[in-house]
Amino acid sequence: MSTPEASGRATVARLMREIEDEVREQRRSRLIARGAPDDYRDEAVFAVVESVLRRAVEERDGQALLIPQLLDSDTDWELRLPLELKSHRRLTGPFILFVKRRLLLPIMHWLYEYSLENFRRQARVNRILFASLEELAIEHGKLRLRLGLEDDAEDHGSKS
Amino acid sequence: MSSPSLRLCCVVHRFGADIAGGSEGHCRAVAERLATRHDVTILTTTAKDHVSWRNEYPAGQADVGRLHVHRFPVVRQRRIREFAALSEVVFAGDASPDTQIEWFRRNGPEVPDLLAHLETHGHRYDLVLFWSFRYYQSFFGVPIVADRAVLVPTAEEDLAIRIGALKRFFSRPAGMVYLTPEEQVLVERQVDGRVPPSCIIGCGLEPPAAHDRAALAPVGVTPPYVLYLGRIDPNKGCETLVRFYMRWADRLPADGGSVALRHAIPLVMAGPPNMPIPSHPALRALGYVDAPVREALLGEASLLVVPSPYESLSMVLLEAWNHAVPALVNARCRVLEGQARRAGGALAYRNYDEFAVALDRLLRDVSVARQLGAAGRAYVDETYRWPHVMETLERFLVSLRQPVRFA
Repeated sequence: MSTPEASGRATVARLMREIEDEVREQRRSRLIARGAPDDYRDEAVFAVVESVLRRAVEERDGQALLIPQLLDSDTDWELRLPLELKSHRRLTGPFILFVKRRLLLPIMHWLYEYSLENFRRQARVNRILFASLEELAIEHGKLRLRLGLEDDAEDHGSKS
Repeated sequence: MSSPSLRLCCVVHRFGADIAGGSEGHCRAVAERLATRHDVTILTTTAKDHVSWRNEYPAGQADVGRLHVHRFPVVRQRRIREFAALSEVVFAGDASPDTQIEWFRRNGPEVPDLLAHLETHGHRYDLVLFWSFRYYQSFFGVPIVADRAVLVPTAEEDLAIRIGALKRFFSRPAGMVYLTPEEQVLVERQVDGRVPPSCIIGCGLEPPAAHDRAALAPVGVTPPYVLYLGRIDPNKGCETLVRFYMRWADRLPADGGSVALRHAIPLVMAGPPNMPIPSHPALRALGYVDAPVREALLGEASLLVVPSPYESLSMVLLEAWNHAVPALVNARCRVLEGQARRAGGALAYRNYDEFAVALDRLLRDVSVARQLGAAGRAYVDETYRWPHVMETLERFLVSLRQPVRFA
């Protein structure tokens, strides 16, 4: 006999599938109306594209990405969010830092917080872009292996 | 259940009947029930305010019901701006181990006397239960009594869980008590080394008392309405919720209908506001509401919406299901999505489009809404009644430690 929980779970699973389908179709129509690529007229193509990008946006852990690891030797690429106040001047440095911390920073704090929020957003967008690129690379890698092109990949690696 | 009586100690950052925090309330509810069969001491602070940790309660010992409560003074108030700056450095991921440890000290509430008490008297307890990994008393207290420490992490998927110093910390306790399977996965993924034994208990609920619909009249609310219940705060996803709801309410339904009809189903937000709430015909902010109004709001709602991106367990979601009310939850929060999926009592959304379609479904299809509400209620009956919760916890505690016998 079906319990209320079991039938609720089945209903939720069915509804969530229907909602995802409905939303995907809404988006496809909206994008086509705005002049999206003709490829999106094919529902199947759109579904695959959405699924790959969605995996990148929703499922990838932003702290476990390959691209930042490859860039690790040069940390200049990364947005630095914390504000660090330093001075290289040995004698006047403490005074300059005092002025910055006690006078300028309190006055400018609103601007710092405003910028910080925007930098946070940019950092988030960067992570999502990295994740999207990686998802595409993963798909690409899998396809290459399936097509038996792995030797070709090694050739590319040895040339670089 | 027949099991030996234990000498238990519960360590928590704040304690009191007038403290509304989630982990503090969980600690109090569990400790009071443990005290019916065991000897329970509470070690806590004199702080009442969770932002500054200002000393407000008197320090010292007092019995509160069956509980022996021992309060220790906080030696340093939290300076929010400095702490936020330190958090930026630590959450960026490249802070030194010393800086990471300093983060836990600054997060507070700094109570060195509580740690000294654990050093001196910790061995007298069979088990020492700590609530919430992120606070001073747990981070520095667990290692002192590691062989008998049980951590209730109340972990959420926020940035603090990624602090490197936690990798070893989470391997130290004798046992872990989780609120959901998702929390267990989240914490165990961080552990470096031994994974402590654990159990999942959630939190207990009493069956709902009959509510009085008339309690809604003084606050000017009449069904139908969509309910948000809790602190109205951007960190709880409320800014996004307000934006989504206004957008949904102002848009003509695809299958006809009118904007006026959508405005007639307001989003009622009950809870202390921590952000500006726009003036809009479809939004009703009530501020803090008392218990009878709260119960009536839950009992009469068409559905509850839980937009929070971070939860270790959503009590308000369980309370809605307790009233057989269906819910709409933020799927980006794994705990909420997991709760919804296991119970079959809620739909989940990832973005505005899904929010709007799911909201329409639940409001239009009354039989589906009823079915989800009934499934949620059955899930609470099976999983979240106090006898079941306490039996699971006590069996686990007894398995960790046989009692120390005193002559």
